Amino acid sequence: MHIHQYEKLWLGMSLLLIVGFIATITYGAVGVGVTMIDDSGGNVDPNALDEHPEFSDPGVEKVGENEYEAYVVARQFIFQPDPIVVPANSTVTFYVTSADVVHGFSVVGTNANTMVIPGEVAEVTVEVGEPGEYGIVCHEYCGAGHHSMEGMLRVVPEGEYNSSDGGEQ
Amino acid sequence: MSVDQETFADRYPQEAELVRRAFLVAFTALGLGALFGIFQALHRTNVLRIIPSTDYYTALTAHGVLLAIVFTIFYLVGLYQWAVTRSLDRSPTNINFTRAWLTLMTVGSAITGVTILLGFVDQIGISADVLFTFYAPLQAHPLFYTGLVVFIIGTWLAGVDWFRTWLHWKQDNPDERIPLQTFMVLTTMIMWYIATIGVAIAVLFFLLPWSLGLIDTVNPLLTRTLFWFFGHPVVYFWLLPAYMLWYTVLPKLAGGRLFSDPLARVVFVLFVLLSTPVGIHHQYVDPGIAEGFKFIAMTNTMFLLLPSLLTAFTVVASMEHGARQRGGEGLFGWLTALPWRDPAFTGMALAGLMFAAGGFSGMINAGMNINYLIHNTLWVPGHFHLTVGTAVALTMMAGTYWLWPQLTNRRLYSRPIGLLQVVMWFGGMALMSNSMHVAGLYGVPRRTAEPQYAGFDFNTAFGSMAELNIQLAVGGTLLFVSTLLFLGNLTLSLGNPKVEGLGQSLPEPLSGAEDSPRVLDNMRLWAGIALVLVVLAYVLPLGAIIQNGGLFGTGGDAYPVSVLGTFDGLDAVLELLGVGR
Amino acid sequence: MSRGVPAVEDEEEVPGSEQSVSAPVTQEEPERELTHEEFDPKGTLALILTYFAVLAIMWVFMYFVEFLGNDLIVVG
Repeated sequence: MHIHQYEKLWLGMSLLLIVGFIATITYGAVGVGVTMIDDSGGNVDPNALDEHPEFSDPGVEKVGENEYEAYVVARQFIFQPDPIVVPANSTVTFYVTSADVVHGFSVVGTNANTMVIPGEVAEVTVEVGEPGEYGIVCHEYCGAGHHSMEGMLRVVPEGEYNSSDGGEQ
Repeated sequence: MSVDQETFADRYPQEAELVRRAFLVAFTALGLGALFGIFQALHRTNVLRIIPSTDYYTALTAHGVLLAIVFTIFYLVGLYQWAVTRSLDRSPTNINFTRAWLTLMTVGSAITGVTILLGFVDQIGISADVLFTFYAPLQAHPLFYTGLVVFIIGTWLAGVDWFRTWLHWKQDNPDERIPLQTFMVLTTMIMWYIATIGVAIAVLFFLLPWSLGLIDTVNPLLTRTLFWFFGHPVVYFWLLPAYMLWYTVLPKLAGGRLFSDPLARVVFVLFVLLSTPVGIHHQYVDPGIAEGFKFIAMTNTMFLLLPSLLTAFTVVASMEHGARQRGGEGLFGWLTALPWRDPAFTGMALAGLMFAAGGFSGMINAGMNINYLIHNTLWVPGHFHLTVGTAVALTMMAGTYWLWPQLTNRRLYSRPIGLLQVVMWFGGMALMSNSMHVAGLYGVPRRTAEPQYAGFDFNTAFGSMAELNIQLAVGGTLLFVSTLLFLGNLTLSLGNPKVEGLGQSLPEPLSGAEDSPRVLDNMRLWAGIALVLVVLAYVLPLGAIIQNGGLFGTGGDAYPVSVLGTFDGLDAVLELLGVGR
Repeated sequence: MSRGVPAVEDEEEVPGSEQSVSAPVTQEEPERELTHEEFDPKGTLALILTYFAVLAIMWVFMYFVEFLGNDLIVVG
């Protein structure tokens, strides 16, 4: 099999490109510390969220110094709680699950973006910076009212954060 | 190169009729799909809303299924039937079998297609508004899944037919290499058999019985993972017919010869091996799948770039060969010597150019953690409208301009209109896809009727959402007009008189099959390795999903999109037809 | 040579140079034959190296500016 020398060169460069891509992703994972959503959130019965210790009353709770957990339920066609309120300059872990069909949970204009699958809990930890407001959209078709499914993430100054905020619906 | 070379239709009239029939179904789907496409382009940008937003999802389901399944795959079977018959110079072993699988595919498509379209008629209560991906626990009417099963069985039998024809040819020609086009058909079908295992299990063992009420629950992550087991290789099922046209027809149109037959074979073998163990890259941000499995899927996906990167070189080199034979000179000056006034050539060349751009957005999609940036945003349909929506669709339309005269013995109605059509598609797609990619980066979601939200606005780094919307709407309109021009041109061609001498030959490659090792033609070997790779990539993640969430999930109701029960809906149809009880 | 129309008189035929059925009838014929040995795809090489450069630059921009420069990096 004789291959033209230019083609051999291109084959080499293609492999270089591929290895370069994989190396970049690996750098993002190991060097920067970007992790993927995985199976650490565990499983739930979507019909029994009412009895779940956390999802029965979705909301934000403080779990450590500057560390918060936000339990979020997606259902046709709302997010609970709405808005989700967290203090600025904190580490927030979202636990998101669905009470019915497949939804999406995307904090618009950011990297916080996960699928929400009934039976599964998506665990997403992010570092929250300055105060501000972000929209949240459901980005997976979930029924005829899908386009109206939105929420809000409100990042408030540390001093203004009231622990009951995120828990209210 | 005899004088007045006979056409495919002269030499194989029965086969030509079947190819035309497959193309007829494909182009009907193309027309309907394009109609739903323009509805969406105008609706989601809020330029013009003709249908209620709840029906948007009926249109979206129809657009996806009609174009990505019916148009592409019917074109594929037509093209592949032509290619096998032509390159082996041999009729199917039993043409009635060929008729049977084509009929089966048509019936299946009709069942699924009608079930989807009934979603527009509220009184009937039948619906399949579950989109192209039909993620449980949204539940379509059982007829939707049934039609899909019938269709896929039809495609399996098509593969059987082509393998059988080849085996008989092999008995008569034991020492010959597999002709390139047949090689491409056989490798594509091996990939398809492996790929469809996933969707067949999802539909036959879970979704269909569940929609009929035979089982109560399914595991949504499991059926979703099985869908994507099929859902990625299916994109190569769309692409490989386009590759066949690029490798075997485009060099001829350019006035040259294929640069390397051996590399074409290597490329198709790489697709057999790597197309399937990658599906999890559609699930990078799914809960319930460990990061390690996602990383393995990514590595496989990145290496799957290789056959396409090699194709870029071989195909461009074949064009350059044509251009230089036509007197082209200079490092880039040869580009002007290409036959740009031939719509078949220009369409395929522009399709290839867009594939290079789509290749880039695909590389982003493939990169595991960068998926957070673009997952389920408008970026993704922006990407696949460049790939399946242009690289594949435009190549298929362009190929038709060359193939159709040989299937009908009639000249094309208008070559200039054909040229306008392919250029308009390119321009329309450039606008639409660009705006979709950019909007995606701003976080605009895909698959939604009204991406205008009450509580917030999208922040645009430059320009405005209004400008992007206009770009999308204008692009979509151009694409729709282009489709009409294509269909109109073909229809009017049927009015042309029958003539002789439209037959075409395909030139021999510069470097032929004899330059490649015979092991490339060993179909059993490649199928075996491919299966091993699939097992390695999927056994552990599927096992973990079943172990954690159960074979039938952790509970949870079905959410039927049909308003009425299964059989009530059927009664309503019969009543409307005047045959009700 | 099949064109189905009265053709311009052919000179020396280039093998495989039959006119495409979808091409304009006035399209010019290939004028010479290039074998595998005579043909160096240097134009292709130039194009594809340009493509490589574009891909590399765009990738770096997308990954390091668009993605890593974005808010709310997922860290767990």
